[in-house]
Order: sequence, then structure tokens, then C-alpha cells
Amino acid sequence: MKKLLVIMVSLAFLTACEPKIDEFAASPNGVDFSTFVAVGNSLTAGYADGALYLSGQQSSIPNIMAAQFKYVGGGEFRQPLIGTEDGVGFQQIPGGIYCYPKMVMSIVSDKDCYGNPVGTASLKPALAFAPTDQDALKQQLFAPPTQVGPYNNMGVPGISLQQALIPGYGSSLGNPYYTRFATNPMATVIGDAAAQQPSFFMMWLGDNDALMSALAGTDAYLTPADTFAKYYPITVGALLQSGKSPKGVVATIPDVTSIPFFTTISQKLPYNGAVLTAGQADSLNMLYHLYGHPDIVWHAGQNPFVYVKTDGTWAQMTAGDLFLLTMPTDSIKCRGMGIADPVKLSPYPIPGKFVLDADEQAHIKSAVSSYNTVIKNVASANNLALADMNEYLTHFISGMVFDGVKMNTTFVTGGMFSTDGVHLNPRGCSVAANFMIQAINAQYGCTIPQADITKYPGLVFP
Amino acid sequence: MRKITVLLLSLCLAAPTLFGGGYQVHLHNMRNIGMGLIGTSLSYDASSLFYNPGGTPFLEKKWNFSGGVNFLMSRVTFQPVNGTEQAHLTHELNTPLYFYAAFKPTENLSVGLAINTPYGNGLSWGDTWQGRYLIQDISFKAFTFQPTVSYKFKNIIGIGVGLVYAYGDVNMNKAIPLQGANGDGKLNITGTTGNFGFNAGVMVHPVKGLSLGLDYRSKIEMKVEGGDATFTVPQSLSSSFPNNKVDVMLPLPANLDFGASYEFGKNKQWMVGLNLCYVFWDTYDSLVFNFQTTTSAVGRTAQPTLYMNKLVPRIGAQYRMNDMFTFRIGGYFDQSPVEDDYLNPQTPSLDQIGLTCGFSVFPAKGLSIDGSFLYITGKERSGTYSPDNFAGTYKNAVFIPGIGLTYSF
Repeated sequence: MKKLLVIMVSLAFLTACEPKIDEFAASPNGVDFSTFVAVGNSLTAGYADGALYLSGQQSSIPNIMAAQFKYVGGGEFRQPLIGTEDGVGFQQIPGGIYCYPKMVMSIVSDKDCYGNPVGTASLKPALAFAPTDQDALKQQLFAPPTQVGPYNNMGVPGISLQQALIPGYGSSLGNPYYTRFATNPMATVIGDAAAQQPSFFMMWLGDNDALMSALAGTDAYLTPADTFAKYYPITVGALLQSGKSPKGVVATIPDVTSIPFFTTISQKLPYNGAVLTAGQADSLNMLYHLYGHPDIVWHAGQNPFVYVKTDGTWAQMTAGDLFLLTMPTDSIKCRGMGIADPVKLSPYPIPGKFVLDADEQAHIKSAVSSYNTVIKNVASANNLALADMNEYLTHFISGMVFDGVKMNTTFVTGGMFSTDGVHLNPRGCSVAANFMIQAINAQYGCTIPQADITKYPGLVFP
Repeated sequence: MRKITVLLLSLCLAAPTLFGGGYQVHLHNMRNIGMGLIGTSLSYDASSLFYNPGGTPFLEKKWNFSGGVNFLMSRVTFQPVNGTEQAHLTHELNTPLYFYAAFKPTENLSVGLAINTPYGNGLSWGDTWQGRYLIQDISFKAFTFQPTVSYKFKNIIGIGVGLVYAYGDVNMNKAIPLQGANGDGKLNITGTTGNFGFNAGVMVHPVKGLSLGLDYRSKIEMKVEGGDATFTVPQSLSSSFPNNKVDVMLPLPANLDFGASYEFGKNKQWMVGLNLCYVFWDTYDSLVFNFQTTTSAVGRTAQPTLYMNKLVPRIGAQYRMNDMFTFRIGGYFDQSPVEDDYLNPQTPSLDQIGLTCGFSVFPAKGLSIDGSFLYITGKERSGTYSPDNFAGTYKNAVFIPGIGLTYSF
């Protein structure tokens, strides 16, 4: 019996051979992917969680694309890697920059209005550590990349379309994220990219022409539509005429107002969240009258918060106005922001940099729409692949699913954005890379395999 | 000897796997497996308790026993639609068992007990593959215990009915797309359940040599109540994913089988037969998990499955060479009840063809050693599980030798 069993089992193993299915048939269809150069902003650079850090760069959209290009003749893809996993982000301050590490999901103890812990804790993004040692962070920011150039990934966080053409953008007076890897202080991003004579390029520029203004809570810094229309063809042209008649993919600019940075707080805090008694309303009306704003009228019940418009005037918020993720909600809860300061007994409008009102949103949307018309026209005139990221992002408002992973634009739980609410996490980047690949396959008739999105992590929770 | 016991025990505990008809398993008697799984019009041994209890009184001997085991090797390959990394089911040896005992207290009456595994599913894709958020591994099996009583009238018509008690257990693992320091989150569900159904059949011998059979096995609702759901998620999310009790409902579909067979030749040496088996798969329209402790992240989930009813034709033949040897051959075509939009790696169901052969050796009076061999080849199939947007191509091959004993006196 034992013998028989052994014979049966071994026979089974021998005979039941692996069923064969044809492997994925990858084909470049004549397109040369050997020298792939990507030009863009933070979304191209792999910036996430409010900083540039090593594993974020390794999960950058063009790096994921380059890994897939290997199946169709792609070559090496060098990135200006930063030597820190904690990352460096910065903001301009008078006389220089202020640096900080990336944010990570953290358990932060809740505090009352006097700063005392109340015994509970919340899960939210927080800096990986307190940025007390500014010198160390600056040193990491300006240290040469850990990989030598030339760099196939020319993505520079913060760059606008026009800045890609400006000599000196990589100088000590320019953008530190370019300074750290520019070939020389007077180099241009487009020049450094073109000098590599790409056989294939990706260009995703223009986001910051709208985003930088939106992030400041205003429509004042939008790149004018005709300026965009003038410089976009010049930028693409510089790559097209770099020597090897490259093919390429360009991408539209997403409507920035649908990203979590602008939607998250407004989902929890209504624009008319100032709840007053009749007595409080009367007092406020007197106070605002006293300060020369009789036009702002308070009632018993729910009232819209007051904020400062871009032109400096005050107004009550209206439905559809958005709070920015950076708004200190504690000030609303504890210090009367949006109503009146209970200590100073003065009106306390919300600073304009924390509100993107409906008019500003309309101007931004209109600008983005005109930029995208230019991008689509240039793509079609030059037979370039077009990844319509603006269109894709609209699908994520209600949500999409890939391999059982549900994703939407909700902050943290949506699974695609990083902790800064603006940039994608690695899994989000892999989805974006696949949209690029789909556009390339559609335009050039090639079959580039897509990235396995499950191989790239989403947010990491403690 | 102890080693063999351990080996046999572990083999018995492994779950049977057969992908053709969803999660139905067809390995119920070696002789029937040898001839294309037909059996509805046959009464050669005690397995008719299962195939058609109306046939049991036609058995010649007073006591009839049948038992056996199959050694089921299945392999599945998956090619993602746009990706480069093929996945293979890890190889498991599954061993569905059966045992039947029939006793005839009088010439026309028979009573009996059938024990077998008519439903089951067991597969393991591993915990790193692309579909791990749908399924990593699943083991589901349902044993049935069927006490049966049958009666025949004048050697022409037999009827029989059995009460079926099904005992099932399920154990499944899937990854959850929430990463912590140790990678993906995970969900394990285990549970057991039992419920009743029935098996009723009628067999007619209208003219010499011809036998007709009709058998209906009812649907059995298998509802796991209060199974254990264990979440492994990053600590900061654990309050949203409390370890939990879960209710899972999985129906075992009804079957209506018609069979016809004809014996001819010298001493009825030859038999040819066919079965038409209609499976009421449409009862399985979704797989529902109802978590008893609900949070914003955990509640009721329903995976749509939308199975469709299918007719499975089977044919088989038997040749009794002499008193020592009998040979069998057969085949069937098993259509997948799953639509292309709902092809799920949990049950990667393909249209498949089964080819069978078998033999019996009679070393002593009343005793036979029965062997069978079933080869199943699934047609390569591309589909998407659209609720999860998981797309690719599946192909399988299944190889099932089996050995059994039949004894009557």
C-alpha cells in the first residue's frame, strides 16, 4: 500500500506539468527607448511627503516607467538621488531657506486650547523629526547626488514652465533642488536635458504655473495663458530638436483644486461653521461696525467665517470656498479665527493664504484649461503621446480600483496621495506611470508592459 | 506504520480542488470516475447511494461497500493582462475521500450511508503575488453524510431518498492594502458550519439492458455564523480593524442529473452510457461577509460572483473482459459557470475537458480493486474580476489518479 501510494504521488508530480501561457509580448514597435529623459517638476522628481527623499525618488513616475522600458530596449535611468531617507523640504524665508524633513504618519497626542494634552491621540502626518539642526538639513540638500550624472530624471520640485528655460535657475540664487545637480550654475533644465540627446522623453511641466498660486491661496500668481502658450512649444521644441528626433510623451495639468490639499479640511469644517447666539451676533455686529466693516453682518445660528481676500478686503465665505490643508484649525477652535479674537476684542478674519475662494478656483480652473489646450495642441502637432492626467484625476474623485486596491482623492485613506496632500505616494506614482505607458502604447503602437502597482507601497502607517 | 498514518491524516486534511464547475468536486467513486463520471443510471455498487439512490435496491448482494481516495494534483498559471510576472498556484496534493455502505434487509428495500466530498476549493497563490488583495489562499471543503432509504418495484423501477447533512469548513487569507513597517495588512477568516439537504432519485429499467435514471440533489445553504476574522494591520489602525466575528454565506448548488445506459454483448460485457448534469449555479450570485463588529472600515462586504446555470454532458463506457478484469473509459465537457467579467482568482473557473479511464481487478469473490485516472485540461481563458479590476489569463491542468476498493457479499 505504501509503495503504491509513493508511486501514485510521484507519477502525479511527473505528469501534471505546469500549464503554459504565452508571456507578455513586449514590443517597442520601432520606438527607441534607449535614452529616456524626463523633464518636469516635483511629480516627475519623486518628491513626496513634503520633501525630497531617497525612496520617493526611487518610486518616481519616470523611474517606474524606465523599469518597464527595459522590456522594450530601455537603457539605464540615472536620477540625482539624495543621500537621505528622511528627506529635505524647504521654504523661502527672509535671508534664505528654512529646511525640514519629510512628514510621516504619526500618532500625535491631542491638546486643548492651552497646549495641554487631553489624553487622546490622533493619527496624522507630522514631521519625521523636529528640524532643529538646520545646518545638517542644508548640507544634505546641497550635497552632490549619490549617483553621478548625466541625469535622465531632470525633474525639479517647484519649477514652472518658464523656469525650465532660465539660465541661473541652478545657481546659488536659483532653486536648491536644481542647484544640487545642475551641470553648471548657468545651465538650464531644458539645456541639461537636451544635451543628453534623448531618444525618448517625458515632459510634464506646467503644474506649478497654477499650483504655486493655489498653494498660496490666491489666483494672483497664475502664469498668463498667452505666456504659457508661448513657452510650451519652445520647451518641447528644445527636446524635439536635441539631435535624435526623439519620440515622447507629454501630460496635461490636473485641476489642482481637486487634490486633498484643498478638499480635506472643507469636508470637516463647513464654511459657515461660526455658530452664534443672538447676543454674540449683536456684539459682533457692533465690533465689526466699530472696525469699519458694517457690511459684514452676523446672525444668531450658523454664520460664514470672515476671511481676507487677495485684494485685502474682508468678506464672508460662501459655499464652495476651500480651506487649505495648512490652515491652523486650532486657531478657529481656540482663538476665534474667522470671527473675532476674544482676547484682543478685535475682528480676526482668516488670512487669505488659507482660503481659496470660489472666484479664485474659477480663475485657476480656467487657466489650467487653457494650459491643457496648449499641451494637447502641441502634442498632436508633433505626434507626441498625450497622457491626460487632468482627465484621469477626475475619475479618482469618485474612485478607481486596480488589482483590488481602491484609490480616491481622499486624504490619507484614499491611498494615492502622500502625506502632503499634493504629491502622490509610490503606489499613486505607479498608477500615474501606467497612464503614461498606456498613452505611449496608444500613440506609437508599441506594447510596453505596465508596472505591478501592488509592488509599490502606499502610505506607511505606524 | 505511524509515518503512514501521519501522512494519510495530513492528506485527508488537505482540501480538494477542482476548478471546472466552480467549486463542485466530482470524485465520488473510482469506477464512475473511470467512465467519464457517469452514474445516474448505474447500480454497480454502493456508490449509487450518491449518484442515484433509486438504483441501490438493484444491487445483487445483501451487503455492499465501496471506499477510495483520489490524489488530486492541480496546477494553475496566471498571466496578468498588462504585466510581465506570471503567477503559479503552489502545488498541493489534495485527497478527497469517499465511503459508501448499502444493506438490503429484503430483496426490494435497501438502506445505506454515503460519505463524500461533493464541494470544495483549495488553492494557494502565495502572499506576494499581484492578486493578493483578492486572495492569497483559500481552503473550503464540505463533507456530506447521507443516510438513505430506497425501494424497488418489480425490478423495473426504484426510488430512493437520502437526508444529506453537509459539514463545511473554510479558511482563507487575503492581504489588505494598508502598509505598516512589516508590509501589507492581512485578513484571515476561519469558520465551520453544517446544514441539511436531500438527495432523491428514481431509476427505471424499461427494457432489458436499458437503464434510465434521474437524480436531484438539493441546494444546501452553508452559513458560517460567527467565524473568526483576524485582522493584522498597523497598530495605529487596529481600532478600525478589530478582531471580529464574521458571517459568511456560501450556497452549495442543486444538481439535476439525467442518465441513460445500455448493456449489451455476451453476458452484458459492454456498457455505454451518458449523463446530462444540470447545475443550478445561479444561486451563487455573491459571496457575502458580514462582520459583526462594524467600524468605518469594516462592515458588510459582498463580492459579486453572478454564476450561471450550466449543463455538463458526460459519456462513458465499460468493458468486462473476463471475471478478473474490467476496463473503463469516458469523458466530459464542463463549462465554467463564471462570466468573463467575474473571473476571480479565488475560483479560477475555466471551460474544461475531462478524459478518464479506469479498471477493476477482481482478486477474490465479491472484492474488486478499482483504479481510475482523470486528466482535466482547462481551456486558456482571459477575464477580469471587474469589481476589483483584476485582469489576466488563466490556464490549468489537473491530474487525478485514484484507488478504491469495492466489496459485496
